[in-house]
Amino acid sequence: MTNLMVIKQLYMAAFADFRRDKVRTGLTSLGITIGVLSVVLLIALGLGLKNYISQQFENMGANLIMIMPGTGFSGEDMGRGMITGGGVKFDEKDVKSLQKIEALKYVVPIFMTSTNISSSEKEKMGTIMAVNEEVFPLLNIKMQIGEPWGKTELNKKSKVAVIGYTKAEELFENINSAVGKSITIEGMRFKVVGVGKKTGDPDQDGSVFIPYSTSYGSINPDKTFWGIYLGVTNKDDVATVTEQANEILLKRYDKDKFSVTEQSEILSTVDQIFGIINIVLIAIGSISLLVGGIGIMNIMYATVTERTREVGIRRAIGATKRDILLQFLSESTLLSVFGGLVGLLLATGIVLLVRVWFPVALNMVAVVVAIGVSSAIGIFFGVSPAKKAANLSPIDAIRYE
Amino acid sequence: MKKTPSIISLSNVSKEYVMGDESIFSALSEVNLEIHKGEYSAIVGPSGSGKSTLMHIIGLLDKPTRGKVIINGHNTARLDDDQTSKVRNQFVGFVFQQFNLLNKLTIKENVLLPVAYSRDKLDFDPEKRALGLLDKFGILSKKDSYPNKISGGQQQRVAIARALIMNPQLILADEPTGNLDTKTGNEILKLFEDLNKEGITVLLVTHEPDIAARTNRQIKVLDGKIVEKYND
Repeated sequence: MTNLMVIKQLYMAAFADFRRDKVRTGLTSLGITIGVLSVVLLIALGLGLKNYISQQFENMGANLIMIMPGTGFSGEDMGRGMITGGGVKFDEKDVKSLQKIEALKYVVPIFMTSTNISSSEKEKMGTIMAVNEEVFPLLNIKMQIGEPWGKTELNKKSKVAVIGYTKAEELFENINSAVGKSITIEGMRFKVVGVGKKTGDPDQDGSVFIPYSTSYGSINPDKTFWGIYLGVTNKDDVATVTEQANEILLKRYDKDKFSVTEQSEILSTVDQIFGIINIVLIAIGSISLLVGGIGIMNIMYATVTERTREVGIRRAIGATKRDILLQFLSESTLLSVFGGLVGLLLATGIVLLVRVWFPVALNMVAVVVAIGVSSAIGIFFGVSPAKKAANLSPIDAIRYE
Repeated sequence: MKKTPSIISLSNVSKEYVMGDESIFSALSEVNLEIHKGEYSAIVGPSGSGKSTLMHIIGLLDKPTRGKVIINGHNTARLDDDQTSKVRNQFVGFVFQQFNLLNKLTIKENVLLPVAYSRDKLDFDPEKRALGLLDKFGILSKKDSYPNKISGGQQQRVAIARALIMNPQLILADEPTGNLDTKTGNEILKLFEDLNKEGITVLLVTHEPDIAARTNRQIKVLDGKIVEKYND
């Protein structure tokens, strides 16, 4: 008889055993089921968060380059400039020099401030984005109703505004009638020309976009910008444009006072962060896998004692130590893999359910982790009881009552 | 009795156990014994005489402290676990007082169990042979039953069928009638006698002189020594 057939026979015997003792099999596997369930769900959650964030970035439009004060998104100083407002403040001179870069399609200076916005109906806090007309194609802002303001309005310092979807909902009872009405910001009355489509990005949906030239009065008396967004048409130009923008700005500012960041860099930073979060989540889930494994080891020890006589009989009729070892190992592995598969099935069910509200995702990593880890646990925690069984003296085992 | 080549020979075999208080208990001392092909013999002696230890050493279930166990001319001292297991699998067939069947396997599966542990290509169809043996012992109809559903006598027949499945050269039976009533016990002994007539070497271990007397040769063991060998 070949080894393969022996192994097959062992697994069949193990299966038959499990069928006979369903309660014990179920309870023993439960630990692994819960472990795998939590690990797979945590991975799915981590991936979901990552997908969600990536989606938000993609909505901002591809081929985006951001010029910001401070050291920007990457490096240990990450985001400090954004938060503290430290570093440089840009002005129109920078915009003009950046516009000379050939491959560049959009240059959008951004002044951002948080202030009261009031309509004839309500008053709300909100973010004012003082920008130029290129912001609409660059950030892919589409209109729900009305039209965006254009270059003419910018040049004429017109008091016009495009309101993000959520902000419009907050300010007006009926957003369809918002266009043509007016809102007041810092004592200035702006005419609403358009309401943006809902994007799902709270920053975009909650902002009011006005021409930066108009903001020079009471809203932005210093005539400075918090940042400048650049857009290119061709993805291949991103690197050269980034380099050129750096060169231009270095003529005016110190190297560590500003940063030029490609969106892909930000994405990779986000990836890194979620990689770490994922590892932490998996580590937490692994604790339950460990506990499940110990449960299996416990039961296997009990099984070995219970079946000492059987081991003796098998040894007497020709089973080698290795045969006995394999027999008990195959049992613990089967228990564990069974538990793992049940956990995976439950996790899949839950993921499919949650998917309706949140972009959680199952991937191959989760499946491989579920099956791989549970069989590894079965083997790892089964080895010691199986060794105990294999090393029983045939004589003592067969006399065991 | 005509001498045939010996299949097992023990020379100066001793077995000692270290007891709890570190004193040494001698279960067998300086035992010399030869078992010949085709024999029908009994190792007889009171309980505690060392006869079971002797049987375990012959069947390679246990190793002697000193001395040699030679099977078909090969010294077994140097065999590793795989090789001793192979000898147990192919050379001997054990029959125990407690029957020692696996309750979760059917009768047929029990008989076929040694086949699962054989690494060599078999020169017979195991399934056919198992059913043949069950038929011969009158328990073919029970082939799909479980051991705890049949009588003691039937269980011992299954155990004998299991001992025979690999075509061993020696059957070692340890008190095979000890758990059976006299009538059933006689039937089992009759079965061994028939098997011996077919040329199978049978070695019984018993404490009952009556049973030993039915064999052709009695090896009497007392206090770890062979004291008499009849018809030797």
